Amino acid sequence: MAQRQTSLAGKLVYTIIVVIALFWVAFPFYWAFINSIKKPAETFRPTWIPILQFAPTLEHWTSELAIPETQHAILNSTMIAIGAATLSTILGTLAAYALARFQFNRPSNGGLTSWFLSQRIMPPVLFVIPFFLIMRQINLLDTVWGLILLNATFTLPLPVIILSQMFRELPSELEEAARVDGASRMQAFFQVALPLVAPGLVAAWILCLAFSWNEFLFALSLTNKSAIPMPVIIAGAEHTRGVQFHYVGVRVLLTMLPPTILALLAQRYIVRGLTLGAVKG
Amino acid sequence: MASIPDQLKLQEAQGQKQGVAKRGNREDSTKYVFLLPAVVWIVIFTIFPLLYAIYTSFFSFRYGKINQFIGLGNFGRLFTDANLHGALWITITFVAVTVTVEMLLGFGLALIFNREIWGKNVWRAVMTLPLFATPVAMGYLGITLFYETNGPVNALIAALGGTPPPWLSNPTWAPIAVMLIDIWQWTPFVFLVALAGLQGLPEDIYEAAKVDGSSGFQLFRHITLPLMAPILWLILLLRLVEAFKVFDIPSSLTLGGPGRATEVYSLFTYRTALRFFDHGYAATQGFLLLIIVSIIISLLFGRIRSLYEVSR
Repeated sequence: MAQRQTSLAGKLVYTIIVVIALFWVAFPFYWAFINSIKKPAETFRPTWIPILQFAPTLEHWTSELAIPETQHAILNSTMIAIGAATLSTILGTLAAYALARFQFNRPSNGGLTSWFLSQRIMPPVLFVIPFFLIMRQINLLDTVWGLILLNATFTLPLPVIILSQMFRELPSELEEAARVDGASRMQAFFQVALPLVAPGLVAAWILCLAFSWNEFLFALSLTNKSAIPMPVIIAGAEHTRGVQFHYVGVRVLLTMLPPTILALLAQRYIVRGLTLGAVKG
Repeated sequence: MASIPDQLKLQEAQGQKQGVAKRGNREDSTKYVFLLPAVVWIVIFTIFPLLYAIYTSFFSFRYGKINQFIGLGNFGRLFTDANLHGALWITITFVAVTVTVEMLLGFGLALIFNREIWGKNVWRAVMTLPLFATPVAMGYLGITLFYETNGPVNALIAALGGTPPPWLSNPTWAPIAVMLIDIWQWTPFVFLVALAGLQGLPEDIYEAAKVDGSSGFQLFRHITLPLMAPILWLILLLRLVEAFKVFDIPSSLTLGGPGRATEVYSLFTYRTALRFFDHGYAATQGFLLLIIVSIIISLLFGRIRSLYEVSR
């Protein structure tokens, strides 16, 4: 869009708004961080700068990380996120390639794509009961596997949409050339097309990872002990320990830093992922 | 970046070209090797559970076990359950307020950020941070942010000369606290998508309009707004659908309380299902939410269908 000439006053107002917006966005993270390194008594004082205003401590981090439940939950969250993201990226990439390179009739390519995308529109709470009953039936209640299967299902639209767009942008001549040289469809896919969409592949995987890590409703419904991930630990924490600001800070950061940092790495793809491909960032 | 309509045409043309090229080897069965795993997966994990949910909704349950077939009995309860209506009303209020504020704030900020400024990529990265901050963790952090004595929000209000409200213990203020966290989390989504849209607008139209002597507001009213309309409708649709699912933040910030003041629809259904083990009725409630969301989609989808076809 065209750059507009702005007056000095305009620039000032504009700068103030930008600063307020950034402060508003960043404050909760800073608040969690600062509390996580304060001594308990210090958390009730309005001090903001570590070292200068108070002596920082890592004792809450070490004691929180020494709790077996927390260790277990971090491990569970990691396994669920990696398992679900990997599964959904594999399934989604194959489907994306099919939608980008082949012609389907009844249902058409467009119909198939909308059908994949519609999975993100369903209210998850609708699935709580059937999944609970089915998982109980097949003995996957309170297992990491159960949650991997579910999260793979609900993140599947992301790789489908991100990668079908990337495959479409790739000239099909490259694969055709490989096929003239004697490669099969599969070989052309694995050796020519797939390496060329590697950035999108990684981005889709990362976004699935972040979504699966953050998922709460199914994690809460389908676990009660051995498969509990971080979001469920956090939701129950208030009642087991009361609200201690320093532990809140540690737990909140332990839970939300991994997906937040990962998502920054996939930043270029966030907009198209979250708008189901309709808008490219 | 090309404008949205341009992209649409381009992709349509590409699609047609590919269609022609591929028609020669239509019998090629490899394509199903690529497509079927995902299709089978979704059929198993969503279509099958949906059918199972329909089945369950015809039964009454006792202690989590099927008790008896009651036909449409669970559907009848939807009309008479005052607590369900309360939860629905809380959710509608939540959706109306948060989505309106997020749209206005997000689009406004996008307009402000949409110019050459120093460190633009860094600012943009900061604005994406809330999107993937675990919502349930944000709710938990909210307990400290909205702490009545010495919490940072109330400290700020007191510093500005206001009377700090009893955020989490008061049925009027607790929903506002929940809304504020949702607004914190999702305004950046509106912002990022709107900004992507703004940066795709063709520059020459603005040049031409400026030559004609249009003012800043005229440019906005007659060029920016109409060109952005499809994207804004799309953002609205996605936010509405997403907001109706709200569960995580009230679950951890207020546990639905005080009383039932923040017991949103999904939380109510969750409790029906797994606190009272009334599985059949909970499944029925899930379908009501699906119907509501589907009505919203069908009302808005026509307006943005052209935009959606980009993603074919």
